[in-house]
Amino acid sequence: MSAAKRVQQWATFARTWHIFDCKWQDPYQSADLIKKYLMGMHKPIYHPMNDCGDVVVCINSRDIALRGDEWKKRAYFHHTGYPGGASWTLAWEVHNKDPTMIIKKAVYRSMKGNLQRRHTMERLLIYPDEEVPEDVLQNVTNQIRQLRLVPTRLDHIPEDEVRKFPKVMDYPKDYVYK
Amino acid sequence: MALLARTVQERKEGSTLVVEGVNVPSPRTELLIRAENIKDLVQPEGTPKETCYMCALGLDVKHTDVLILSQFVRSDGCMLPRRITGLCRRQQKKIGKMVSMAQKAGLMINLTPSFCKKDPKKRFGFKKFNSYFDETTIFQKKKLTPFEHIKYR
Ligand SMILES: [Zn+2]
Repeated sequence: MSAAKRVQQWATFARTWHIFDCKWQDPYQSADLIKKYLMGMHKPIYHPMNDCGDVVVCINSRDIALRGDEWKKRAYFHHTGYPGGASWTLAWEVHNKDPTMIIKKAVYRSMKGNLQRRHTMERLLIYPDEEVPEDVLQNVTNQIRQLRLVPTRLDHIPEDEVRKFPKVMDYPKDYVYK
Repeated sequence: MALLARTVQERKEGSTLVVEGVNVPSPRTELLIRAENIKDLVQPEGTPKETCYMCALGLDVKHTDVLILSQFVRSDGCMLPRRITGLCRRQQKKIGKMVSMAQKAGLMINLTPSFCKKDPKKRFGFKKFNSYFDETTIFQKKKLTPFEHIKYR
């Protein structure tokens, strides 16, 4: 067995720890990606009865991005079980309360509801910012590539670069600067 | 071709305040990109000959391209009118929508009115969280929900 094959063998049978940066990522699109690593679907030995799933550490969950006006349109339903106990909470209110809940619910929803799901969810660790405990971070060996590019703010680009950037629009002759 | 633009300058001459408009050359003229100046630009078939400069360039502009979008706004972040931008109706609409997308996402926070707090995370309610936009929705017709289908029949 070659050295590369031996590493592949270890990577398949060991529980690998992956890290995922949620900054500017859509939680519902990333959930489909995270789910694959959590359940071990990226491994050739995958089988639903086979406990080969990995651990995923999500960081910066406070900086997730929802599409369009979904922050105020998407509602999360909860029922206490008592009559009149139904409540609908908007996504931004949920995120205000607990910045890890939206990504947790998105991953939970993306998986099929069976007896394995709760155990698989135990392997998902979510942190609202970049502060991850040292004993968690020392296990991480892989980073999952982000789905969306993180946009750059105009005020974070150096002023000189903004001025020297090629222009498409020029002011007309009688334009008064404002 | 030297394009000129005007600024309003204030200066004091003795006890009188003189306010005058001064012609200044536009700083953008040298950096200007035009389709007719690019030799090997292949235009897709069916492009009409008379197009505005944005259609002729055929750029795929996204709402995150703040370096391009910031050229079409005033210093308070307001979109310039069509008589100044010189765009066609469709491009004016498209760029205008993308400017508001970039503003909502907080990507051009330095180009906002003076009373703005200049930090997207300090905005009110749901506005303080990140949101991204899909440019294909700009010219999309509004989809009717099942209930509205009955209402507008
Ligand atoms: Zn045009």
